[in-house]
Amino acid sequence: MKYSYNWLKELSGTKLSPEKAAELLTMHSFEIEGLEKSNNDLGGVIVGEILEITKHPNADRLQVTKISIGKEKLQIVCGASNIEIGQKVPVATVGIILPGNFEIREASIRGVKSFGMLCAQDELGLGNDHSGILILDEKAKAGELVQKYLGINDNDSVLEIKVLPDRAHDILSHAGVARELSILEKRKFDYAFDDLILPKKISKKLKVEIRDKDLCKRYIGAVMENIKIVESPQWLKERLEICGLRSINNVVDATNYVMLELGQPLHAFDLEKIKTQNEKCDIIVRRAKNQEEIILLDENKIKLNGDNLLITNGDDALALAGIMGGKNSGITKNTKTIVLEAASFDAVNIRKTRMALGLNTDSSYRFEKDIDPNLTEKAMVRLLEILEHIADGKLEGIADIYPKKINSCVVNLDLEYANQLLGEKVPEKELLNILNLLGISTQKKKLLQCAIPTYRLDLRTQEDLIEDIGRIWGYEKIASRPMMTEVLPAKINEQVFFERKIQDKLLGLGFDEVYNYSFYGVDDLEKAGLIKKDHLQLRNPMNPDQEFVRAELAINILKNVRENLKNFSEFGIFEIGKCYALKNNKPVEKRNLILAKVLGKDGNSETFYNLKGAVEDLLESLGISEGSTFGEPKVEPSEIEKFMNPVRVAKISFGENVVGFMGEIKQSVLESYKISKRVAVAEINLEKLRKAAESLIEYQPINKFPVVSRDISMVVPREVRYLEIETLVKKTGGELIDSVLLFDRFEAKNSMAIRIEMSAKDRTLESAEIDAVMEKIVSRLEKDLKVEIRK
Amino acid sequence: MEILDIINGKKADLSKIGPDAEKEKIDITIPGKKEGIGHLNPISIVRRDIEDIFMGMGFEIADGPEIETEFYNFDALNMPKNHPAREMQDTFWLKDKKGGENLAMRSQTSAVQAKYMEKHKPPLRIIVPGKCFRREATDTTHDHTFYQFEALVAGENINVGHLKQVAQDFFSQFFQKEIKVRLRPSYFPFTEPSFEFDITCTVCGGVGCRACKYNKWLELGGAGMVNQNVFEAVGYKRNQYTGFAWGFGLERLAMMKYKIDDCRLFHSGDLRFIRQF
Repeated sequence: MKYSYNWLKELSGTKLSPEKAAELLTMHSFEIEGLEKSNNDLGGVIVGEILEITKHPNADRLQVTKISIGKEKLQIVCGASNIEIGQKVPVATVGIILPGNFEIREASIRGVKSFGMLCAQDELGLGNDHSGILILDEKAKAGELVQKYLGINDNDSVLEIKVLPDRAHDILSHAGVARELSILEKRKFDYAFDDLILPKKISKKLKVEIRDKDLCKRYIGAVMENIKIVESPQWLKERLEICGLRSINNVVDATNYVMLELGQPLHAFDLEKIKTQNEKCDIIVRRAKNQEEIILLDENKIKLNGDNLLITNGDDALALAGIMGGKNSGITKNTKTIVLEAASFDAVNIRKTRMALGLNTDSSYRFEKDIDPNLTEKAMVRLLEILEHIADGKLEGIADIYPKKINSCVVNLDLEYANQLLGEKVPEKELLNILNLLGISTQKKKLLQCAIPTYRLDLRTQEDLIEDIGRIWGYEKIASRPMMTEVLPAKINEQVFFERKIQDKLLGLGFDEVYNYSFYGVDDLEKAGLIKKDHLQLRNPMNPDQEFVRAELAINILKNVRENLKNFSEFGIFEIGKCYALKNNKPVEKRNLILAKVLGKDGNSETFYNLKGAVEDLLESLGISEGSTFGEPKVEPSEIEKFMNPVRVAKISFGENVVGFMGEIKQSVLESYKISKRVAVAEINLEKLRKAAESLIEYQPINKFPVVSRDISMVVPREVRYLEIETLVKKTGGELIDSVLLFDRFEAKNSMAIRIEMSAKDRTLESAEIDAVMEKIVSRLEKDLKVEIRK
Repeated sequence: MEILDIINGKKADLSKIGPDAEKEKIDITIPGKKEGIGHLNPISIVRRDIEDIFMGMGFEIADGPEIETEFYNFDALNMPKNHPAREMQDTFWLKDKKGGENLAMRSQTSAVQAKYMEKHKPPLRIIVPGKCFRREATDTTHDHTFYQFEALVAGENINVGHLKQVAQDFFSQFFQKEIKVRLRPSYFPFTEPSFEFDITCTVCGGVGCRACKYNKWLELGGAGMVNQNVFEAVGYKRNQYTGFAWGFGLERLAMMKYKIDDCRLFHSGDLRFIRQF
């Protein structure tokens, strides 16, 4: 909220500069979001005296004037007809910027040069009057600033405070901040609250009834007669404007003024429009009926239900309680008698209603954070006072319904605990003084009994009190202290360190780490063939592109690939993150790793094998190469990811344990993402992977006897897979086979060359023995797999 | 012996011969053949730094789900339904529910606090680094997805002075220079008292410079003494323990450390950005 510093000064009696006060508040109370000199010098517009007026030679409606601005004389073209020689008028000279960021420039208007502008009221940002040039007082001196003659005070500053919910009830008001300032300066706040007592004059015209007492704690109505609706005086307009409110008329402005001063939202009705019979008026506060309608001040017609509270005259809805007045009950320039409202509404109900209806007003903003019901009385008295002055109002009488009076509550404070929690001993005298300044009366028993004034709704526990003591005393006085605790090693978070290991290995394999948002859109579901019902869906997404919580890491990775292909032709990226699937209507969280690879020259199958190699390297480095397999997925449609190329996808598993999949993205999906290269991805569940990698690596003795290697070159029938060859070789060779390696492959003919390494653990193999094994292997390959051996 | 001499002589002759040396010579300025090492996202780097410093101080690293029930994200943190403080964080809500309970993308790592405390008794020291979500308009300093790290200490007689010290030690380690900490009053429902937290400018050390806009202090995050209602919600006896907690943005630290001027880059996936780290 924005505050006028002059106003705060007036209320608090502080002598501090705005900067000093802002600093004090920042360190002891709340965050200051801004401090600015109020921009009310009208941009430097000065007084000019009209010396000459002649007709414009080329335009009927224009006149050419000669203006004295003290030392200089200016020629200015003017379109208004209300000017006369000798008058004093506001002149905006060249270079001045008027409200609306309108800069005055030297101009040629229909062939006549003009060096400035004579201003109407609205052009100075002072009102809506555009009927003619604003004529100033005769005594105004040419060349001086205009503001001097308009009663504008330019010495004010605007303080903007970030008001958090706990203090909204007292700080969203000048009196609240002034009280705070006084306390910080260790002075008693001397606003005459106690004198603000409702006159005992009971209204004969107004009756108030609260039907729903749980939603309205108090309702004060007051009837004022003899009202004259006029423009507000300048001082009032100025203060509203500094606080960011628009001036409307004296009555409405007065209600807003009191709200800004005391924090109590107020409302004014035109009695003429709400009366029921014989000039009388019954205000009934009740819940709306289902489908009941009201047209609000902003002309919106809304439908209500029983959760919404209304101010009615029995039949008609007059206002949506605490949120906005009705269009048909408001003040107009013909209003003579008014009904004023100062009420206390249930915060939760106001909040629910304004959220449900999407309304947000200065009034609801305050009510929804709760307000002291006792404030209504003070505010009403202030409002009556002001209206007597600025609208000639005469109080007819008052109707005050306050079913259950709220009194101060008591909080017991353990002084020792206060010092213990703050970590510093606040001298008791100072502590008691702070409480006293806060308006809290204390009584020392075993604990300190603190009676909390009703205007501090936030002080309910002793920690709340300790906070106020601590901040007013000064947090800077609290020294840092080392914690005295047992030296215990931190428990290691295995998953965190496992993931670090994975990251490091992938860096070594040349992959860069990306982070993505956890959402994608309905468009992505379509492009990738994902199913909506497998996804958790946001109720309030930022935009439709981010409506679903990701169930697959691959989708956003594809977008990364597309974007990076604009700058790079070959890269590998990875992301570690959570994704969520919806299974049987329950969210299932998975922590996954995704890898993606694109190659500069991507051939037919290079991309796939390149990524497969990286995955194998990764798994091997984790000590889980043995027993890991890349099997073809079993053809269970729901199991295969829909966006994968079905003939280039593999499960990654250890024994029966499937930990992920890898393969190429389907061509049609790539096309829909406008990616023209093959993209291979691998997605692995990290929790499962960690379990698989848990077993310790065990050292195998290095063979003391020589290892012999033999190569076989062959043409393999298309239907035979490499894994069958490897398995057959190992089976046939038995214990003597150390390893089988595919070291060359010619795809067109499906020819392969494998290298077989053999050794024995207890002897050097004789060449006859080796030859015999090789012969056996070759013959099995030829017989079982119909392989054609090239000799 | 003679043979050896002959061999050595020949060797010496050979090395003197011009044409062979000429063949051996290469242009050592030609770029080497690189395998290419990958790069971590700067958030990961900063996260590791933070984790390591806190582990050194005996803090355990904890984590929880990114989708939270309304209870853990709000109620257990002293923010019952219709509490105005709920609006301090614009939350992404899910259409789906869990056993009738509303679900939200967690708006703060504090959601992990209650979960952890339900299973562990003080004394405890944890940090929770993690992804959080808020439905906020994005600009160079705000993103709807961001990383926080939460610290929580609970035990007997933990006080504001301890919070100051731990924070000071951590930031001094992190920035490799002496950092001072300043507390200002603030409000969070899950702490009482609550603070805003400033550290001395990491560039000028608190003298005033262009980096801190002559403020001397940099605003870093929120902190406070754990609200007794939070302790009660997890089953501790009121006023039996005290503790402190804080939450900071990882992005902010990464941005300060590397002078990054747009936080949206972290989630851009742009390799021109990531390959700089």
